[in-house]
Formats: sequence, C-alpha cells, structure tokens
Amino acid sequence: AATAPGKKITARIKRTLPVRGPQAPTLSELMRWYCLNTNTHGCRRIVVSRGRLRRLLWILLTLGAVGLILWQCAELLLNYYSASVSVTVQFQKLPFPAVTICNINPYKYSSMKDYLSELDKETKKALETFYGFSEGKSKVRRSVDEWNSTGNDFFEQIPLLKFEDFSRTATDLRSGQKRKIEGSVFHKDSSIVNSGDSNDIIGFQLCDANNSSECALYTFSSGVNAIQEWYKLHYMNIMAQIPLETKEKLSYSADDLLLTCFFDGLSCDKRHFTRFHHPLHGNCYTFNSGENGTILSTSTGGSEYGLQVVLYIDEADYNPFLVTSTGAKIIVHDQNEYPFIEDIGTEIETAAATSIGMHFTRSRKLSKPYSDCTETGDDIPVENLYNKSYSLQICLHSCFQKAMVDSCGCAQYAQPLPAGAEYCNYKKNPNWMYCYYRLHEKFVKEQLGCQQICKDACSFKEWALTTSIAQWPSTVSEDWMLRVLSWDKGQKINKKLNKTDLANLMVFYKDLNERFISENPANTLVILLSNFGGQLGLWMSCSVVCVIEIVEVFFIDSLSIVMRRQWQKAKKWWNDRKRDRSGKPPQAGDLERQGHDNPICLDEDLPTFNTALRLPLPQDNPLPRTPPPNYSTLRLETAFTEQLPDTLEVGQH
Amino acid sequence: MNLKKYFIRALHRLQKGPGYTYKELLVWYCDNTNTHGPKRIIKEGPKKKFIWFFLTLLFASLVFWQWGILINTYLSYNVTSSLSIGFKTMKFPAVTVCNANPFKYSEVKHLLKELDRLIEAALERILQPTPGNSSEKISPPLDLELWHQIPLVLIDEHDKDNPIILDIFESNQTAGGNQTAGGNETSCSHQGSDNCTYRNFTSAAQAVTEWYILQSTSILSKVPLQERIRMGYQAEDMILACLYGAEPCNYKNFTQIYHPDHGNCYIFNWGMDEEALNSSNPGAEFGLKLILDISQQDYIPYLSSAAGARLMLHQQKSFPFLKDQGIYAMAGTETSIGVLVDELERMGYPYSDCTMNGSDVPVKNLYSQYNTSYSIQACLRSCFQNDMVEICGCGHYMFPLPEGRNHCNNEDNPGWAYCYSSLRSSIGHRQICIDSCKETCNDTQYKMTISMADWPSEASEDWIFHILSYERDMSTNVTLDRNGIIKLNIYFQEYNYRTVSESAATTIVWLLSSLGGQFGFWMGGSVLCLIEFGEIIIDSLWITIINVISWCKGLKQKRAQARYPDAPPTVAELVEAHTNLGFQHEDTGALPGDEVLPPEPGTPPPNYDSLRVQPLDVLGPDSDTE
Repeated sequence: AATAPGKKITARIKRTLPVRGPQAPTLSELMRWYCLNTNTHGCRRIVVSRGRLRRLLWILLTLGAVGLILWQCAELLLNYYSASVSVTVQFQKLPFPAVTICNINPYKYSSMKDYLSELDKETKKALETFYGFSEGKSKVRRSVDEWNSTGNDFFEQIPLLKFEDFSRTATDLRSGQKRKIEGSVFHKDSSIVNSGDSNDIIGFQLCDANNSSECALYTFSSGVNAIQEWYKLHYMNIMAQIPLETKEKLSYSADDLLLTCFFDGLSCDKRHFTRFHHPLHGNCYTFNSGENGTILSTSTGGSEYGLQVVLYIDEADYNPFLVTSTGAKIIVHDQNEYPFIEDIGTEIETAAATSIGMHFTRSRKLSKPYSDCTETGDDIPVENLYNKSYSLQICLHSCFQKAMVDSCGCAQYAQPLPAGAEYCNYKKNPNWMYCYYRLHEKFVKEQLGCQQICKDACSFKEWALTTSIAQWPSTVSEDWMLRVLSWDKGQKINKKLNKTDLANLMVFYKDLNERFISENPANTLVILLSNFGGQLGLWMSCSVVCVIEIVEVFFIDSLSIVMRRQWQKAKKWWNDRKRDRSGKPPQAGDLERQGHDNPICLDEDLPTFNTALRLPLPQDNPLPRTPPPNYSTLRLETAFTEQLPDTLEVGQH
Repeated sequence: MNLKKYFIRALHRLQKGPGYTYKELLVWYCDNTNTHGPKRIIKEGPKKKFIWFFLTLLFASLVFWQWGILINTYLSYNVTSSLSIGFKTMKFPAVTVCNANPFKYSEVKHLLKELDRLIEAALERILQPTPGNSSEKISPPLDLELWHQIPLVLIDEHDKDNPIILDIFESNQTAGGNQTAGGNETSCSHQGSDNCTYRNFTSAAQAVTEWYILQSTSILSKVPLQERIRMGYQAEDMILACLYGAEPCNYKNFTQIYHPDHGNCYIFNWGMDEEALNSSNPGAEFGLKLILDISQQDYIPYLSSAAGARLMLHQQKSFPFLKDQGIYAMAGTETSIGVLVDELERMGYPYSDCTMNGSDVPVKNLYSQYNTSYSIQACLRSCFQNDMVEICGCGHYMFPLPEGRNHCNNEDNPGWAYCYSSLRSSIGHRQICIDSCKETCNDTQYKMTISMADWPSEASEDWIFHILSYERDMSTNVTLDRNGIIKLNIYFQEYNYRTVSESAATTIVWLLSSLGGQFGFWMGGSVLCLIEFGEIIIDSLWITIINVISWCKGLKQKRAQARYPDAPPTVAELVEAHTNLGFQHEDTGALPGDEVLPPEPGTPPPNYDSLRVQPLDVLGPDSDTE
C-alpha cells in the first residue's frame, strides 16, 4: 500500500513531462521548451507574455540582464588580482639589526703617502695655478718636492683645465698654455640644473684613447667639485692597483676605530664586530653581522639596552682632498643585506653623542601576479655580484658593473668584481675613464636598461631612525672622560685624546613593537565565486545549473537538432539519388515532396489505420517531421497544470 | 482551542498511518523546490537523471565546502586597514623637557662628596699606577666603606685561565703595560659570601660610569622625594621663554614630574588638569617655542657625560619614558622638530591581541599612581619592579614602588646590587614580562623631523644672553652662555596625521552575502530553499514516526494473531480487501483504449486510504497534506 501512491505520482510526472529538450523537433520548439522550463527568470516571461511590445520588452530586459551579468563578472575577474593591506603590530623580542660603522676617511693618510704623493703634488699645483692657494708649511708639500715625477704621462693625459666657457680655449694646468678644446662639452654640474653663466669654469677632458678626436669635456661651476671629482678619478685609478690585503692593512683596524662598546647592558669588544672592506670607505666594522651564526636580540627597549660605542676618529690622519667632512658613517641594515654605506649611510658627528632610536617595520608585498616584484631575485637576469640577498640597489650596481665589463673591458672600482674581470686602471685600460663616464651617463639616463630589468624586492625590513645629538662629553666631565678614554686606548698613543677625535654613538630600539605591513589577496576563489553567484542571482536568479542548462540547450541540443536535420536531409538526398539511379522518374518524387513534405509519407508502406490516425494534418504543422504527439500527456496536462492555454497550442493542434 | 484542534489532528494522523511515502515526498520536493538541481533529476531521462543526480550532489557538496571556507574566514577575524593622511586640528602633543643631568651638582655635592673623592682617587690609581704621587698627601683618609661593598678591580686577562684580579686600593702593585682588560666591577651578594660576580667592562670609562651610577643611586635613594625635587632644576631656572602659537606661556604652564633618570621634568600640555591644547595650523609659527637653560656648569661630572636637554613628545595623560623615546637637544643650537602623528587604531579582541586600557593585563601597573594611562613601557617596568621587590626585597630606584615598599640602598639591602644585576641580565625574566604585557590597541607615535642650527648667532648672542639673564636673575650680569642655552621649536608638519585604522574585513553582512552568493552560484538556492529542505526533513520525520507507530501496531497485531493463528478476518479487513480489489482495476486498467477517455477531473486523486478508514473525516487529511 505504501508504494502505490509513489508509483502513481511517478507515472503522473512521466506523463506530465512536456516534450524534452533534445526530443524537441525544431529549434524554436526547443527554445520554447527551454524558456518554459528553465530556472532563470526572464526567459519564461518572453514566452508567456502576450502582445508584441511586451514580448519585445521582456526580450530586451532579459538580454540586458545577461549583458549586465557578463559585464559585472568581467569586472570581478579583472579586479581579481587586487590586494588589501593589513598592518599588524607585534610586541616581541626583536632581533637587533646589523650596524655597520665606517670612518668617513677610508685609509690612514700617513700610510697612504707612498701611493698618493704624486697625486697630491699635482692637486696642490693645480690649486696654486688656478686659485693662488699655497699651503706653506705642509709636510705633504715637502715630501712631494723630494719625489721625482715619474710616470707623469698619466696626469698629462687628464689634466685639470680652466677655461672660458664661450671661447672654447682652456688653460692647461701643466704648461699654463691655452689650448683649443675639441669635442663635446658636458657640464657635469649643469646637466640637471642650469647653473647660469659663470666665467671661470674648471673641468677636465676625457678622450677616447683609440680615437683622439672623440673627447668629452666635464666642466664644473665650482672648483671644489672639480678638484674633488678629478682627485677621486685618479685616486680610484691608483687604488685599483693595490691588492685587497694591503688595502685592509692601510685602513683602520678595529682597535683603531672602536674605543668602547656596550650592548644590552654588557660590555662588548672587537670580537663582536666583523670587518667588511668597502672600496670607498676602507675598513668598516659590522656589529652583529650574524657571521658566527648567532644574531643578538633585544628584549628591552631604551638607550641603555642598545649598542653604545665610542669611536675614535683620527682627524689628523685624514686625506685632505678625498674627504672634506669629519666623522663616521653608520648604516643600520639586516644581516643579509649589503650595507650601501655610500648611498644611505648616516653621518655621525664628532664631539657629540648621537642617539639613534630605531623603529622596526617589516613589509611584504605580494609577488606576481599582484605586483611586479621579486621574492629572491632569481628571476632577474642580472647576476648578483654581492654575496648578499637581493635588493634593488644590488641589482642596479651589478647591472652597471656588468655593462662596464662588457663595454670597457674592466670593472669599476667601487663595486665588486664579476668573475674573470679586474678593476680598471690606467696602465692596462687607458681608455676606461672615458668609457666609464659615457657609460655612467647612459646609466643615469636609463639607456642601459638596468632600471627596466631590476625589480624591487617583495619583502624588506626597514629601521626608521630618529637621530638626535647631544654635546658629549659635557664640559664638566670632559676632563676625566678624556683621561680615562686615553688610558683605555692604551699605551699605543701617548698623546691625550682630543674630544673632536671622538664620537659617541647609541643605537637602540625605541620600542619593541614590530610593525608588519603586508599585502593580502583581497579576493580568493571562494569569494570570487560568491560574487559571481550574487551577480547571477541578482539579475536573473541564475546558477551554475542554469549555465549547464544553457550549454545543454544552446549547444548540445541545438546542435543535435541541427545535426539530425542535416542527417535526415542527407539521408533523403541519398535516398533520392538512389531512387534516381534506380530509374524512377524524378518528377514524381519532386511532386510528391512538394505536396507531402512529411518523411513519414515517404514510407514505402501504405498507411495503415493506426498510422493514418496518428498523422497530424500536414498543413497545420509548421515543420512536418515531428514525432506523433503524446496524447495521453496532453490530456493530463490540460487536466492538472495551470499553464496558460496558449502554451499548449502546439500540442493541441 | 487551536492547540486542541491541532492535537486532535495529530492524533488522527498517527492513527491513519502515513499519508504518503518517503519517495513520494522526495519527488514532490524535487518537483517543487526552488533549488535548481533536483528538478532536473526527476524531469530528465534515465541517463541524464543520473548525471543530474551526480551534479546536484557535487554542487551541494561544493556549496557546503565553500561555506565551510567562508565561515572559517569569518571566524579568523581578519581586518582590513585603511590609511588616511592629511591635516586636521589635533591635540598638540604633550612635551616633556628634562635636563640630561638629574640634580644640580651644587645642591648634591655634600651627599656625593665621599663618593667623588673615592672615584677621583681610584682614577688616579688607574691612570697613574705608580705609587707615591701627590694625591695621597692631600686627601684625608678615604671612606672605604662604600668601596668595600662594590669595589672596582682590574682584571688582567692575559693569562686566560688565571686572570689576575687587582683591587685598585688594596694592592698597590703596578699593573704595568700588560693591562688590556679595563676596569671591572664586582658585586657580591649578602655578607661578603663567596657568591660574587664580576661585571666585566672592556673600557674603564664605562666601568667607572656604571660604578658611579650604582653608588650614587644607592646614596640618593635615601634622600626623601621632596628633597630630591628641591635639588633638581627648578622650572623658573630652566624654562626661560615659552611661546605657544601667538600666545605667551611661561614655566607655570608646565606640570612638574619627578623622573628618576632625569630629576625634575616639566610637561607642557599634559592635559591632567585642564583641557589639552589644540593646534589648527601647520608650521613653526603656530607651534611651541621654548628657550631652555641646562646650566652645564652645574652637571654632576661622573654621572652624565652627555650634555643637553632631553625631550619627548607623547600623548596626553601618558607617562614619558625618556630613556626609550626621548631625544636630545644640543646646547647652543636651535632644534626644530616637525611632528607627524602616526596613529594606528586597532580593533580589540577577537581581531587582535591588544588591550584597550590595560585592565586585562595581569601585571599591576605601578605607574597608575601618576594618574597616567596604560602603556607597554609602563607594564614592562612595573613587571620588572614587581619581580625585583619579590626577589630582592626592595624596589629599584628608577621605577615607582608598590605600596609599602622601599627603594634599595646599600645599608638596608647590602646585596641589592648583585640581585639587581642578575635580575636585569636574566633573559627569562624579561621574556616573562614580554609575554604578560600586551600592547595598547591605539598606538600613537610622533614622527619627528629634526633639524638643527646654531643659536644664538654670533651677532645676536650678546643681547639675547643679556635679556635672558636679566629676566631670570634680575641682574645685568650675563649668567648664561652658549653651553647651557637651547632653543626648541615644536610644530605640526603640513600633513600632521597619518592614521592607519582597522576595520573588520569580514562582517556578518559579508558572510551572509557570500554564503548567499555561493549557494546561488552553484544551485540557485536561498534561505527559503533551506527552509523547504528543513520542512522536508520534518515531514520525513513525521513519516518515520508514523511508520514506527504503525510498525509497532503491526507487531502487536501479529502477536495477537500469533495467539490466535486462525482468527477470522475482521470486517475491516474484508472491506479493505474488497476496496483494494476495486482500485486494482483502475491501476491495471491503463489500456491504450483509455486514451480516448475525456480528461480526468482537476482535483488531485483522493487519499483513498484515509477515505476508507474514516469516511467522514475527509476535510482533515486534505488540510494536513498541504
């Protein structure tokens, strides 16, 4: 008894089922069926509506809704790769960054004398010739006089020139004679900012050694810049020839630089520092470099718990032409980062306590496809010449160095050596200066393509520094402080320290809050699908099922209908041909087809009673090859469903 | 009435047995539900039916899976941050100014006299190790009591295994040129036991400074607070000129606070008693301008070697932790500080683990005695002090005291220095404090752009010093000099705030729309569909209940039948058999000839079962089945 009603309902449902999709005889029939039975709204209204205007309106509305859905979904897809930023603050024990400290002066002037005396003599001569400056009782001068000028050809090649801007004649430093200037003029100073017209312009000329007519003239509006630049050029040339070990010896040792050291309330010494040789700054010392595998951390903020060092800056041993300021340079960086001290260092004043409060921020960007950054730098086609983790600076410097080696044949002094290359010096590469300046100009104008190749790193750590200065030592404590520090320095120096030789530095965390700024994907697949669902539902109450229906109806079923018709046509055509071949009169077939287009009529059998009964009236059927209607279905449908009579028109005919 | 009716109906239904079956129910549901999939299951051919069944199941499980993800996302309480930058009228930050030196040397000299003589003698010994120099002749015998508690020693570590320890006063042996390791400091625990530690310093300068701080702390902690405040710098001596915007202010506008590190500190615009001042214009003209005198000649020589003013910008009603956040201003300069208020407004629990006012932090805030708000620094220091009081029995001089406790000094707590230094260097204790303190939800930082220039200029020097001296001391003598005078400008930058504020990334509205979106996307469903489904479940439960009851009834009847196996059929049974036969005909009579029959009437087929059992109750089942 339990199954009987179930069966009944199944049977009823089977009966009430209208013409099914693929069984629909024609495309329009299929569409009608689809529209009546689909779950999407709108389509049904097209079929159900009466009156042309209404139907048209509904068609337009439905199409509009479809258009809106497509547009909105496209928008959603396009905006899929967007990121939202979140800022978190974590209070925790923080790793102390590496602190690299350099003396601004790279090498002890007294020990560099052997190498630089000739250059200094030349510089002094230039100063005397052009500006009437003479340093009467300078010991440098005296030592220079003792020296015989050997190998002066190099200085002759690139002399300092003083010339009038418009007459294009210059006074040579050596001969004092005027000479004509050929080649293009580069105003080193005024290439960016127009410096106005000053009469006395000093500069130097760089010529292509292979082709002496190719010359570039670098002019400066101020002699200070010109002499420093010129000095630096020759200085790099000289330094490039000195091996690294010698240079390290010529520079300051850890004992020289560091007088006292104090970290996290405990005393520290030179063993906590790692030497790092910088081409332009000589020996630098990195505190907490992590080289021995441990990275110190701070668990209390405040100046007492940070790094406190007293630096000894031997002002008397400074190179007068290379550096014109006194003090030290420091940079706070991550252990894996290369300290670009010449680019982003902070200067430390002497005779002062510099207190540097740090605030730690960690940032993280999303890499592709969200933004164009690189996680490790492996995907950048530039070899990392520095033995440190990737950064934009490293990439740019490496890229330039590579271009330099490629086009000039030697490497620039300030950056590390690529494999198999050596630093430029005038003896081996007489052309390098000209080449370097041209290349550098190209680099600055972004013609080398380095700026395009190099991408920024996705994650980076930043220590925001708040620097403030106090007088140190204070007037009342100066006396004992200097005495004790001199004693600390030991017996090596017999003289009492001067306060302008000392710098006190405190680097500490202001607070242990780590700010972490990270990008997160704003959209996930789940949310995207929800948004799709929302859009589909809003405009048409549609879902994936509807999409499948659409695919089914519009592609598979329509195709099958079309195919079926084609197949029947082909079959008919084949039959016709067969009939033609068999010698039947073609006209009869034609006539028959014209009169009765129904394939059933083409059956060879004579219509039986049953078939005749089932046959619909041919003229009423728009398309004749329909299967016989299911009358029992029709009957029940009229009985039970509330469909409007016009939807049943087809069946009733 | 209704309830009674309802119960009667329920009873009737129970008696009647199931009006329909599970299958019927399911088919009905599939046909009539608004969810998109099920309808296709029953409306398609057998192959497609299977596909649709499979698809519907797949979509349903997808929906549930994605719902799971969405709910998980919601429960992870993510936040999104929004950044706003601009200028608005804001409260001017509280400005704390202190002198780097806590007390006037002229005032504390009598207390530190012994100590100073001791350290001078020690320095003499260190610097000129040869005995028999002049200092011994002049100085009266030194009070070595202070020395013996914490002596300074020299440790010669040339021989790593047997370091030679030289007490500076006791052994007059010359250290010679072998001295590499500098001064060292020892501290012993109670009563000169063997429990000693040496605190090593590589630099004598540091050792001396640390030693002096330790000793002077102990001496000064015995002085009552009132006296200490008197010994420090007074507001009228320190703050020479003050201008806020266009309005003049003076030292009376500053609130005095005693800071253990820096003595008397003065806070401008603390907002404790009166409303905090607003600044509605950027630029130095509308900021605070101060002229301070730090009188460097009056510094305690061994205590602080750096000279300058210490200042700090902080929020109203918060305690200034100068050692952490303070900056220096150098004497003889004008320091301009452009301020950008960097705020981070976070949402509290459950979005992030921060505290709104510190009430949920398990550390007793000792700084609440200053009436200041909670901050992480206050929490850490309170945590340390609480530990110190617990372990060493006395509180450290630098931090406020819990009630009824005293600051440590050498007489009452001879071993405190040892206890303190071991506690201070203990990483474990620090970690406990870090773990138990929580950061505040609203984190405000003042980003400062600091620039300096020489001040006063040489040309204006004379008259400025003259006027300032005259105003302060009412005398025509110049009492100020370059080494003591500081000008400060504190002002808002053109953009004075940068606020990062958090908002919940996933609200309940978001969750609902996402859930709806998912359900709609896969199945075109809505909440109503869920309700429909729930209805079906209730209905099927009904069926189950009714079935179980009828099964029980059947079991009873069977037992009854078992007792009388050949019991004659009841009238009802006979009637049933009869009626069944009658209806059998309708079922089997689906002959092709029936197709010609006129359409059946437009009512659903009557529930014959119910009709049969209780023919009079026709209306009841109709309303039930709806």
